[in-house]
Amino acid sequence: MANLFSNFKSSLYKNYGENPGKMLVHTGVLGWILSSLAQVSAVVFNDKISPEQKSFLIPQEIADAGINIASFYLITSSFKNVASKLVSTGKLTTKGIKGALAKEDIAKIGKLDFNIGELKNVPEDYKPFKNGVDVIASTVGSIISCNIVTPILRNQYASRKQKQALARMHTNTQLTAPRGISMAQYQRLSSIKYSSGLKV
Amino acid sequence: MASNMKIQSSSPTFQGGISSTLRSARQRVINAVPNMELSGNTNWINKAGEKISSAEQRLILGASALMSQPFIDAHNKNVDEKTRKVSVARTIAKIIAGTLTGFAIRKGCIKAIKAMSQPRGANIPKWKSFFTPKDVNKTNTDAFMQYRNAMGTVVALVVMMFTNFLIDAPLTKFLTNTFIKKQENNNG
Repeated sequence: MANLFSNFKSSLYKNYGENPGKMLVHTGVLGWILSSLAQVSAVVFNDKISPEQKSFLIPQEIADAGINIASFYLITSSFKNVASKLVSTGKLTTKGIKGALAKEDIAKIGKLDFNIGELKNVPEDYKPFKNGVDVIASTVGSIISCNIVTPILRNQYASRKQKQALARMHTNTQLTAPRGISMAQYQRLSSIKYSSGLKV
Repeated sequence: MASNMKIQSSSPTFQGGISSTLRSARQRVINAVPNMELSGNTNWINKAGEKISSAEQRLILGASALMSQPFIDAHNKNVDEKTRKVSVARTIAKIIAGTLTGFAIRKGCIKAIKAMSQPRGANIPKWKSFFTPKDVNKTNTDAFMQYRNAMGTVVALVVMMFTNFLIDAPLTKFLTNTFIKKQENNNG
């Protein structure tokens, strides 16, 4: 157990010590997963929701979690990876970094194989600059994903689910509201739940 | 373009074909971006890498969420007006509650990890180096600071699994009801 914890610390140090942008993306995804687990377990362990309703709500929660996690990871990691590549290939650089490159290296700027971080004499400013760009890119990616793309996708998903719930109500397999509230109230609450949100 | 075609035709296997296609696509993306050489003071970019931990990022996300999410919910034409208004109130409440607790817990955990990841030494109590990885002697490097941020964030995420129920949910409910009441009062 102690060995496992020791390995975990070393792995965290090795993977994220030099790469804060990657850490923000990965912990962001972990945040979404844990937040989604909390949402799913809130339904699973809620005694006021009947087993029939659970069979309807649990897949909904899981699908909702899927949208959140996938859009966050795809958008944020894409932003981070593109920015990272632009810096490592020298496409996005500073006067100081470019000035420290040899003539033959300057000729390779923009080539996929070229990586300033793997040169024999890495310019002093390179690492802090790359880390800064990575962090800014993953933050911008998170803003676009969490605050624009995900709410729009979730609203569309919620309205589709609300329509399905309405259609179900008129079939033989009626969906009943939890004890103490009407079906109309239940539908409204269900819609509100899916139309907003932010990770933990 | 010519060099891209050359890369594709030199791949004998299907797998090689896919990877070379992806590679040429990535190269095309890079080619499409003009060379950007930043002049002047670029220290703020370096500082962002040093200073923005997950706690600061959560604060930035929360502030920008307040500017976009209520607007998106308010323009959701797929639901009736009453639902829309409640949805906006709940979104604002959820952002405020989530940002306050998310920022405070992340910041607190990162600070706690900092206190508990001191360099090992004879005069240092064992608990103060509980989170210090083995084979690490220098704790004043940028890499070690980032490690502390990462470990603090992981611990914060575990803590938030509980505070999500204990603080976030009741605070969101309270704020939602407050905002709805305010809306109703404003509407007369």
